[in-house]
Amino acid sequence: MKVTSLFSGKPMHYSARSTLAAIILAISSFFVCSAADIRSGKQVYDSTCLACHAAGILQAPKLGTRQDWVEREKQGFEVLLSHALKGYKNMPAKGGNPAIKDEEIENAIIYMLVSAGFDQYAKPSVTSDAEKTTTSKTVPDKQVTTAKTTTSKTVPDKQVTTAKTTTSKKVPVKPAKAAKKTSSNVNQFNRLMQPPAKWNLAPTSDGIHDPENAGTHLLQEPRQAFEALTRSKSGNRVDWVKALENSEIFPRYERLSDTAKPVVMDLNIVREVKGSMPDVVYPHKQHTEWLDCSNCHPAIFIPQKGANQISMAAILLGQKCGVCHGKVAFPISECRKCHSKQKDATAEVKN
Amino acid sequence: MLNRHINILIIFCVLFFSPSVTVNAEYGDVLINNYSDAAGMRPVVFPHWFHRIRFRCKVCHADLGFKMEAGGNQINMLKIIDGEYCGACHNGEVAWSVESCDVCHSGKSGEPTQVHQSTSSKLTATTRKKDAGNQE
Repeated sequence: MKVTSLFSGKPMHYSARSTLAAIILAISSFFVCSAADIRSGKQVYDSTCLACHAAGILQAPKLGTRQDWVEREKQGFEVLLSHALKGYKNMPAKGGNPAIKDEEIENAIIYMLVSAGFDQYAKPSVTSDAEKTTTSKTVPDKQVTTAKTTTSKTVPDKQVTTAKTTTSKKVPVKPAKAAKKTSSNVNQFNRLMQPPAKWNLAPTSDGIHDPENAGTHLLQEPRQAFEALTRSKSGNRVDWVKALENSEIFPRYERLSDTAKPVVMDLNIVREVKGSMPDVVYPHKQHTEWLDCSNCHPAIFIPQKGANQISMAAILLGQKCGVCHGKVAFPISECRKCHSKQKDATAEVKN
Repeated sequence: MLNRHINILIIFCVLFFSPSVTVNAEYGDVLINNYSDAAGMRPVVFPHWFHRIRFRCKVCHADLGFKMEAGGNQINMLKIIDGEYCGACHNGEVAWSVESCDVCHSGKSGEPTQVHQSTSSKLTATTRKKDAGNQE
């Protein structure tokens, strides 16, 4: 069915309307159901915790690394939980995302503990049916078998007591929270922005590589590559110019030579711009560190003063500076990196 | 009146569906699908970040003649095995050679050629989403 009338405003066929209504219903019912659910430990981990706990940033104990967890686990689950909820040392409260529910944090800790080999935390659920579905979903294969055997036999005392204490303490709190039923995202900041957990993801989870493909698993993770590089607020979250200046990277200037030096030209071009925006200073220096003259001249920029019409509209469309900026060089959002020269104060008064 | 309903539907779709399909590709990852889909291969993902750690832009974009346009170079395997484009380095000497097909051909099938996370792909992604909404 073609619903071309979406924007033209022409009346739609009746069947089209009913289908639309059905779609809306389906979507909304799906969303309402999923909103009430508590996410599994893995889901929570993947959404937030992995930002630090995957690579061990700021001394965070790593997922699946038992030695990182042994001492922490000894303090007891309640201590771990309170650290995660309220924050502790470098660990921000709830990993910096207040939208995560307490129960979800609990699940995430369990997920990480189980990953580090503390199988006793693998949740034996109330009903056997529920257990099958939850464990098979959240726990890797190995643990499923161990969990099954322990539950079918007798569960050692320790596990029972820990399970009891956590649940008995939590139970009175849970219904009160569930009763509120307000969207947990209501106080969330920056809904449309990528959270740090989604930056520099591994190729297997970045959405463009096929995780089914064997070669995908051989590729380097950007997060690992960027660890030692000067960070920035946008793009790859790496300040490539600074990384080069500070000798953090040594990109070759010739295909086969480690020693070839670029031909650097140190000449600033100032472009006066309209409106209140500061004038643009174009530095040849940083550009010639990376590029050859022929990359820009004469095809993109005619090397002559006043010969180039440049507008932000053209740049947004990927022309002029936009051939690189907004694609690989720092993005358009870094206004001040180009618009860096304050206009003459006297000129402003005149205007 | 109907228009308003439809707009609400679109906003609804964008708000609730886009997070689940959001691509978190690295800034400057180029997906090249000129011929791959038709040939039954996964499209190629070219990561700019990986290459710029090792080479300056000049090496590929001046010396090897790569145009600064996603999909604009009509690269095929014949050119690569003859040492052109990717083949200038991906020859088993500077970098892995053509036998490691699936390390380059690692993208999700059916995806269009584009520079991921670029200003222009964000703009076209919005229109594509609208179009997708229209198709339903």
